[in-house]
Amino acid sequence: MKRVPGSFGLLLGLVGAALILLWVGADGYKQTLITTTATYALIALGMYVPYLMAGSLSMAYGAYAGIGGYAVGLLSSRTGLPLILAWIAGPVVAAAVAVLLGLATRRLSGFFLAAVTLLFGMAFTALLVDAEGLSGGSGGLGSLRKLNILGWVPSHYQVVVGSLVVVCVIAFLLDRLRMSPWGVIVRTMRDAPRAVEAAGVRVSVMNLVSLAIGAAIAAVGGGLFTYSAGSVTPDTFTLNLVFLAIFMPLIGGSATPWGAVLGAVIAVELTLNFPAVQTSGTLILALGVLVILLLAPQGVIGYASRLARLVGGRRG
Amino acid sequence: MGQLQLWLSALEMGCFFGLLALAYYLVLVGAGFFNFAIGPYAMVGGLCTSYLVLYEDMNVWAAAVIAVLVSAALAVVTELAVVRQVQRRAGRGELPALVAVAAVLFAIQQLGGYLFGYTTLPGQALLTFDPVPLGDTVAQPSTVLLLGFTVVAFAAAALWIRYTRTGRLLRAVGDSTHAAGLLGLPVNRVRLIAFLVSGLLAGITGLLFAPKAGVSSLSGLSWALSGFLAMVVGGTGSVWAPLVGGLLLGLVEVFVPYYFGGQSHVYGLLLVALLFFAFKPSGLFVRRIRA
Repeated sequence: MKRVPGSFGLLLGLVGAALILLWVGADGYKQTLITTTATYALIALGMYVPYLMAGSLSMAYGAYAGIGGYAVGLLSSRTGLPLILAWIAGPVVAAAVAVLLGLATRRLSGFFLAAVTLLFGMAFTALLVDAEGLSGGSGGLGSLRKLNILGWVPSHYQVVVGSLVVVCVIAFLLDRLRMSPWGVIVRTMRDAPRAVEAAGVRVSVMNLVSLAIGAAIAAVGGGLFTYSAGSVTPDTFTLNLVFLAIFMPLIGGSATPWGAVLGAVIAVELTLNFPAVQTSGTLILALGVLVILLLAPQGVIGYASRLARLVGGRRG
Repeated sequence: MGQLQLWLSALEMGCFFGLLALAYYLVLVGAGFFNFAIGPYAMVGGLCTSYLVLYEDMNVWAAAVIAVLVSAALAVVTELAVVRQVQRRAGRGELPALVAVAAVLFAIQQLGGYLFGYTTLPGQALLTFDPVPLGDTVAQPSTVLLLGFTVVAFAAAALWIRYTRTGRLLRAVGDSTHAAGLLGLPVNRVRLIAFLVSGLLAGITGLLFAPKAGVSSLSGLSWALSGFLAMVVGGTGSVWAPLVGGLLLGLVEVFVPYYFGGQSHVYGLLLVALLFFAFKPSGLFVRRIRA
């Protein structure tokens, strides 16, 4: 049987998801933790394509997740359309905004790009507060309808399972994308843009496509969080979250998208779940990221696979 | 609020942005690096002073000295422990350095919140004297201090860079680290001095500006962005360029909300950033090099 590339990662991811579901059980608080983890993971996965594959750090992801969240909120409170359409409309709008922002910043890279996209995120939050008629101002949108897919209303637990499945599927697809010819071109673009341009590939177009994919994935996460929290405000997706999303792949390991997922699990555990370190969880995380950056740039997965190779080498 | 009051406010904001931009400028000239952690250093300068005065009953001058030393120490640690290591390993490419400085920014922000609380503290006045009358308005002592310090800091920086041995070394290292290394100049020491001076400057700036609107652990990020923007707008052609950029941004920050209301200054800053980065990324003042 021909082995599908990336299936090993998927297998590990599914086993992890099953273990997490066993741990959660019927505990409401833990279920909330899991949907939060899935949201963080989706935002980090969204950043994976432009940031780790194409090598440009855009920090407007709070805005993209916000677009996904407000798509759910608006569709629920302003229209009678089926709520599931929000997960189509949100990512499409987010991708369009990402393309526009990408066009406006196409000559920027590095520090300049980071600064403009950070300002864009702040301006988007300000816009949500100002546009009271549409977005509900600083109070946001609440009391959302229940999801209803052709008469089937999923319970909260089913939403938790579904969000884990979505994360696994997207991580698997991104893993495949990374190894596909398209992914190889994008990753080459990061290291040698001129060589790629000389080979007849439009680097600027590829950049826009990667930004659009990333924004769409983040919008899915934003919609998921809004649905499970039941409301969305301008402060739901903060800049803190964007910083955490930059660090997640570093913590887990930047070699595969699964590193971003693992990083999200660790980040949520540290910042939300440890009662003893509740106040300083984020501080531990920030200092931990610095240590990882300096001492262990491969992250957890990098070291795990090295260990596996070591053990496997001894056996064989 | 009279027109004069608005102009005074714009001048004060402008001087604040200009001083932050000068701190950026010094690190850029000396180390060729945009140190986004300048904003958090300034935040520590302001927040640490307020905390020590309000909760530890410390004398305001002693608290200020401690706070400024802490921000300078943070700057030195940033260079020694993070930037130097990351740049040595990653070499070319600025993404690793950018991620590292983002991590430093985030870590200092969290550290500030953990040590000094997550609430906004009022700034502490170093000197108390009667407000200076100025036409139909008055200048508060904190404003007078900030304006005075701006003049002193920029004049000192200009003289330092132009006339002292260290200042000349700074420019030599910044122009070409490689050539400076070949000539046997103390590259690492000069970089360290650049970071140290910028940390001191940022710390003092933060504590002088804090009385205007208070300071919280989250102030650092927006200060970092404003300072960066002021430096880019001004350009790196002369020591005074960051001040010009800062004053321009100060006008935007004060007059745009006055005429358009609400949070329009955020949109104004985004617009300025997009326009300048797209059309004039080297800023208003560019150094002309004779060929």
